[in-house]
Amino acid sequence: MQSKFSKKYNFLAYLLLSPSIIIVITFLIYPSLESLYLSFFRSTPFGNRQIFVGLENFARLLTSETYWNSLGRSLIFTAITVFISISFSLLLAVLTNKNIRGVKIYKSLLIWPFAFSFAFSGIIWGVLMHPNVGIMSYYIQLLTGFEFNWVNSGSAAFILLIIASSWRMLGYNFIFFIAALQNVSPSLLESAEIDGANPFIKFWKITFPLISPITFFLLIMNTLQVFFLTFGIVDVLTKGGPARATDIVTYKLFRDAFLSMRTGYASAQSIILFVIVAGITIFQFKYAGKKVFYQ
Amino acid sequence: MRKKIIFLVALFSLLLIGSMSVSAEVIEIEFWHAMSGGRTAAVERIVNNFNAEHPNIKVNAQFTGSYAETLTQGISAVRAGNPPHIIQVYEVGTQTMLDSQAIVPVHEIVGDQIDFGSVIQPILNYYSVDGKLYSMPFNSSTAMLYYNKDAFAKAGIDSPPETWADVEEMGLKLIESGAANHGLSFGWPAWIMEQMFAYHNQPYANNMNGRDARATEIYLNSDFGKHVLGTWTDLVEKNVIAYGGREYSANQDFLAGEVAMLIQSTSSLSSMEKTADFEVGTSFLPRFEGQGIGNSVIGGASLWVMQGHDDKEYQAVVEFFKFLNRTDVTIQWHKDTGYFPSTNSAVKQLMDNRWFSEKPNYLTAFLQVLSGVATPASNGVLLGNFVEIRNITDTAVEQAFTGVLSPEEALEEATDKANQVLEDYTELFGN
Repeated sequence: MQSKFSKKYNFLAYLLLSPSIIIVITFLIYPSLESLYLSFFRSTPFGNRQIFVGLENFARLLTSETYWNSLGRSLIFTAITVFISISFSLLLAVLTNKNIRGVKIYKSLLIWPFAFSFAFSGIIWGVLMHPNVGIMSYYIQLLTGFEFNWVNSGSAAFILLIIASSWRMLGYNFIFFIAALQNVSPSLLESAEIDGANPFIKFWKITFPLISPITFFLLIMNTLQVFFLTFGIVDVLTKGGPARATDIVTYKLFRDAFLSMRTGYASAQSIILFVIVAGITIFQFKYAGKKVFYQ
Repeated sequence: MRKKIIFLVALFSLLLIGSMSVSAEVIEIEFWHAMSGGRTAAVERIVNNFNAEHPNIKVNAQFTGSYAETLTQGISAVRAGNPPHIIQVYEVGTQTMLDSQAIVPVHEIVGDQIDFGSVIQPILNYYSVDGKLYSMPFNSSTAMLYYNKDAFAKAGIDSPPETWADVEEMGLKLIESGAANHGLSFGWPAWIMEQMFAYHNQPYANNMNGRDARATEIYLNSDFGKHVLGTWTDLVEKNVIAYGGREYSANQDFLAGEVAMLIQSTSSLSSMEKTADFEVGTSFLPRFEGQGIGNSVIGGASLWVMQGHDDKEYQAVVEFFKFLNRTDVTIQWHKDTGYFPSTNSAVKQLMDNRWFSEKPNYLTAFLQVLSGVATPASNGVLLGNFVEIRNITDTAVEQAFTGVLSPEEALEEATDKANQVLEDYTELFGN
């Protein structure tokens, strides 16, 4: 293909690109190749002994019930969390996108959770929902009689993880939705109103399609963030327990790599993870991407 | 141009002088530790006192995160060819360190400069292999029973439990009388499981608990193991045991009065006494009747000396270890943190100064470890990739407690998994 620019600019182009290329190579490509290499070995923590095991690490992972449990739980967890955090923040954005009193205060308060790290969100919810001394679990028990004990109930721990993670993503999604909603042209909504559309129809037929590019963007970003970063919450709260109920793939990877120090086994996991995440993203672009309406 | 050269020469010589003046007299020792919170200050106190007494040695104590993080950083440093002199490693990392080919055994550099005969026997046994000390004991603890004296009084019970049968009986009484919602909780489930094995003189793994050769088989699914987890699970179903999580989270439940008994590391004692709004009592671990007598196991961490330094520096390390072993330093460390004072003379002095009679809770753990029987099974187990095996055992306990699997099934699964880990580990060494 003939370039638009003459050849003498090529050198300049490469020069300007080189810092990012160097960074990508040293911090992304080289470590990835190194992981791939390590995944064919089993070694001692100090690396003083190492044996070539071929595809054993992969074979073990793919036949391991524990790993499939981790994978299944991660996918279910991510799907539920992304759905809850996106729909809930859209609801809140629509509610606050009106001229009501003190709306600015609500908005800033709703953006706040985004300022915390996942681990911090985990600590907050861990304190609130502590089975014995948590104020929230106390009221839950007072009002419903249900004992929400995430220390010795796997499903409660799983739910707590969803709550803490969705809450953390709320602020992020909220900002984007507010911005998107403000870009929806009032004239479209007005003309719909003149045609007799009720608020519900106005939202589903006009607003929702118009903000769909943002929703799509958030879908991808949320999936990636929730999939990877919920690790922080698991690390401070449940450590994968009780009985592997919250043993999501990223936490398992961390434990195998940095606590048990099984480098090869962990590298194989990171390769599998890479393939899965790339797969999910491609799938989303291919199918969900088609439903996006670009103005 | 000339100005530039002069400037460079000046700069270079400055740097040279700077580096020379440091290396000429003072030997610097890098010491990486994992003592967080109030314990950081206790470590710094020791190091500062040492440095003040030894003008030619400077120990730089550096807090490098949790035990796991400290070990990971140590490994990276070794791989990068730049290890510190001393790394603090938790007890589960002992086999990893022994197999690392990156350490200098403490007995080699110390020779006869320190009389390790003065170190309390159970501690010495834990960190010795073939009767030789490989790392310097530093912070040692064990598990014991804490109980809420006020709750016990309310339930009309006048002495702590001796056996697990007592735990059940008293637990039910405590619940009935409304003194607590549950009877007992514990932290570190896998460690408490190991304690139970050693406490009843039951080996946890083959090859003499991994001390004759690398362990290749774990005995979690033995009759004894099943008896322990079976009894516990039964108590969970009767509401007597409330599972409290993997590390220290159960302390909260005890302090909040949710449970009236707690099995936890002795290192929690000082914080427990400070925070509790009731009278804290302590006692020995409960026994299973008719199952043999051993000893409770030492936990905590020890100091490992790394390869790649010269003799002068190792001599400085020995000086530091001598200092650590000194009676007054050991006593101060014990009082600051609640860890065992590791030498017999320190214990004697603490007795003479009536420390134990004023604070009897600090005596409990001692009497417990000293009254036990020292056998291979009670010296504590050494396992390759112990961290992973702890995780496997924790999971098994949780599976039984949450009803995911029966205790027997959970232990069988855990044994298979742990044996695989051990096999993978020993294969690396070609035997």
